[in-house]
Amino acid sequence: MKIGVMILEGPYQHQAVDSAYHFVQAALARGHEIVGIFLYTDAVNNANKFINPPGERNISKQLDELGAQGVEIVACTACSKFRGMRPDLKVEHVRLSGLGSLADYLKAADRFVTFGD
Amino acid sequence: MSNQVAVLMRKAPYGSVYTAEGFRTIMGIAVFETDVSVILVDDGVYALVKGQNPAKLDMKPLGDGFPTLAEFGVKSFYAHDEALARRGLTVDDLVVPVQIVSSSQIAKILEESGKVLPF
Repeated sequence: MKIGVMILEGPYQHQAVDSAYHFVQAALARGHEIVGIFLYTDAVNNANKFINPPGERNISKQLDELGAQGVEIVACTACSKFRGMRPDLKVEHVRLSGLGSLADYLKAADRFVTFGD
Repeated sequence: MSNQVAVLMRKAPYGSVYTAEGFRTIMGIAVFETDVSVILVDDGVYALVKGQNPAKLDMKPLGDGFPTLAEFGVKSFYAHDEALARRGLTVDDLVVPVQIVSSSQIAKILEESGKVLPF
């Protein structure tokens, strides 16, 4: 099955991104295809490469590893501007794009799952 | 493949960013030929109330944008009957024409839409 994902919350404050990360890993392990992950609103902060939590899971590193495995991850350009998330602050395998990417994922996916509050 | 998407507005228009971003999403994906239905439940019905003035919050009135969505082909607005009734609202209080729907009708719309974006 082709699955699209949207995340609406930032790092550590809320479980949304952690749940999405585990969901995507489980889906891939079962042979499903992830058409893309859209980081919307505060979720763009999950892509900050300077995230550095001593002794805890590193959320931006987890996303970067998913991206390196070939999962397309996009952070909303406008949301990034609102939050000062400059392109040079992002981990390597997350790129900036607009709502057109969300529209593309919605079109391509059989199922679409949102993680938020 | 079905390209029908339901956007579910659940929260009050001010106090959190959800409704504002829900609105941006409706416009943003409608531009890319997505067939969008807008469903207002709970405090989400306040998003469409006429005469919003959030100037003291240093924000712009969110309700003003909804009538412009018709230009993007978004014409299906639904509001939950109980959500309106509990807040003492009627269709005359809203900035766009909406269809009043029951819980079971909303369930049917969500099922038929296939994809749902909750805000």
